[in-house]
Amino acid sequence: MTKSAWAWVWFGLLLALDIAIPWYVLTNVEKMSGAFLFWTIWVLAAIISAFIIFLRWREVKP
Amino acid sequence: MSVTFWVWFGIGIYIAVGLGIALMARRQLGAGVSEFFLADRKVGGFVSALTYSATTYSAFMMIGLAGLTYLSGVGALGFELTYLCGMFMMVFFLPRFWLVGKKYGYVSPMELLSDRYQNRGVGATAAILAMVFLVPYSAVQLMGIGYLMNGVSGGAIPVVAGIGIAVLCAIAWSNIAGMRSVAWTDAFQALIMIVTSAVVLGVVINALGGFGSFFDKLESAVPGLLSVPTAKGAFSINMFIGLALPWLFFLISNPQVSQRLFIPKSVTAMKQMLGGFLIFGFIYTLISVLWGFSATLLVPGLENADKATPSLLALPIIPTGLAIVVMIGITAAAISTIDSILLTLSSVWARDIHKGLINPKVSEKGELRVGQWVIPIMAIIAFVFAWWAAGKTGLNFMIAPLSSAASAGLLMAVPTIFGAFFWKRGTAFGAIVSMIVGAIIVLVFQLTGWKPLGWWPGVWGFVVCVPLFVIVSLATKPPRDKAEEFLGYLKGALKKGRFI
Repeated sequence: MTKSAWAWVWFGLLLALDIAIPWYVLTNVEKMSGAFLFWTIWVLAAIISAFIIFLRWREVKP
Repeated sequence: MSVTFWVWFGIGIYIAVGLGIALMARRQLGAGVSEFFLADRKVGGFVSALTYSATTYSAFMMIGLAGLTYLSGVGALGFELTYLCGMFMMVFFLPRFWLVGKKYGYVSPMELLSDRYQNRGVGATAAILAMVFLVPYSAVQLMGIGYLMNGVSGGAIPVVAGIGIAVLCAIAWSNIAGMRSVAWTDAFQALIMIVTSAVVLGVVINALGGFGSFFDKLESAVPGLLSVPTAKGAFSINMFIGLALPWLFFLISNPQVSQRLFIPKSVTAMKQMLGGFLIFGFIYTLISVLWGFSATLLVPGLENADKATPSLLALPIIPTGLAIVVMIGITAAAISTIDSILLTLSSVWARDIHKGLINPKVSEKGELRVGQWVIPIMAIIAFVFAWWAAGKTGLNFMIAPLSSAASAGLLMAVPTIFGAFFWKRGTAFGAIVSMIVGAIIVLVFQLTGWKPLGWWPGVWGFVVCVPLFVIVSLATKPPRDKAEEFLGYLKGALKKGRFI
């Protein structure tokens, strides 16, 4: 698979977790260490992966 | 002196500084449409990041999102962070928009669509979609300012006065030097937004005994708000997807933000813009949600959740001076969004409707004049909508759901935008039909309040418009030469810059 395809798959996985974990795994955890902590870590994973990709970009003249 | 005096004084200082910055920006204003609407595509990374942040984050955050958290709990965090996760798609779209913007000289995202599909009707349809659905989105910003000034002044400043002040500032800052004045004032306003909100949250958390104590109190006082769905039924999966789906694609569906993908001066500036925005967004989202949670402890039982922030700011634990500074920070957040929307809509009207359909031979000067006239007209329409909606109560008239509803309409352009960059077989006819049918579904469901099987209007519109785009495209003739040339150029340029 190309890098681009891997990135789309990773993004799809993140979206699946966005629903699966809070509604099916943490639905009875009424604590800050439940959905609140999950979503915070989850979005950090998305942000860090975006940084990993775009920090490789190099200057081009269109 | 009274609180009302200090509120007016603070607003006066804010307007004076904003005007000063806008006038300074005017000194660098050159001639031409690209200069006025895109600052000649030469904006540095720092200002690009801040103008993107200030345009994206609005009164919605510290009022709407805080209100939604107050009413519905942690699902509001998931909803807003889903937007930020959607920003991952910037690694695909930012270089693509930027590269073709520079190569073909596009002024608006709609112009890009018209050219790529070789049909002015595509851009015009997307432009009308933006005109229709960005009015309620602008109006909710105005409502937020109205509620806030009214709340902080203890009712002395009427909601409509706050709305009026915001409209006048937005008209001025978008008209003085176009994107240059908007970007510079946005940068100033983004800094006010983040600093003031962080400081006031610190004061409130401190009053609640620090983070540990704050979290303990939340777990014991409102445990039902810390999981999804809540005990009262808020944030079912249907509600979450209904709110989050339009937000997920906000980065490409909302032209006031996608137009900003044209403005960085270099790849380095693009990287700074994206990185700076992601950090800003993460911090500002957490601040807004924690602020909403603190309101559940300190001002419980409010009838209108959108008034959680004004009520919290009116508490004695927050010094009056700080409350006024925070009010200005939130006002800045709202105005920085409205002026960007006004500027984008004016460029869209001038380029994609006036020049695209009405008068293709119009001069650049004439096009600019038309755009500048559109700014106050759209502002007045948003003013009237805000005035009307500000008196209403209920979930549908809360800031967060109303904002998401506006983006639900814009969501119907997403298949067309994806098609432009990733599918050679996409056609103008497929784009136009999918946008029109999708938008009609969203509008009808939104106005009637109909949610078949419990799914929200944006979801139904999307479910219909995606296959419609594909099927109609397959049944009609694509602009093969343009698609080959456009996507062929991108393939080579993306490789050179190590973009994916």
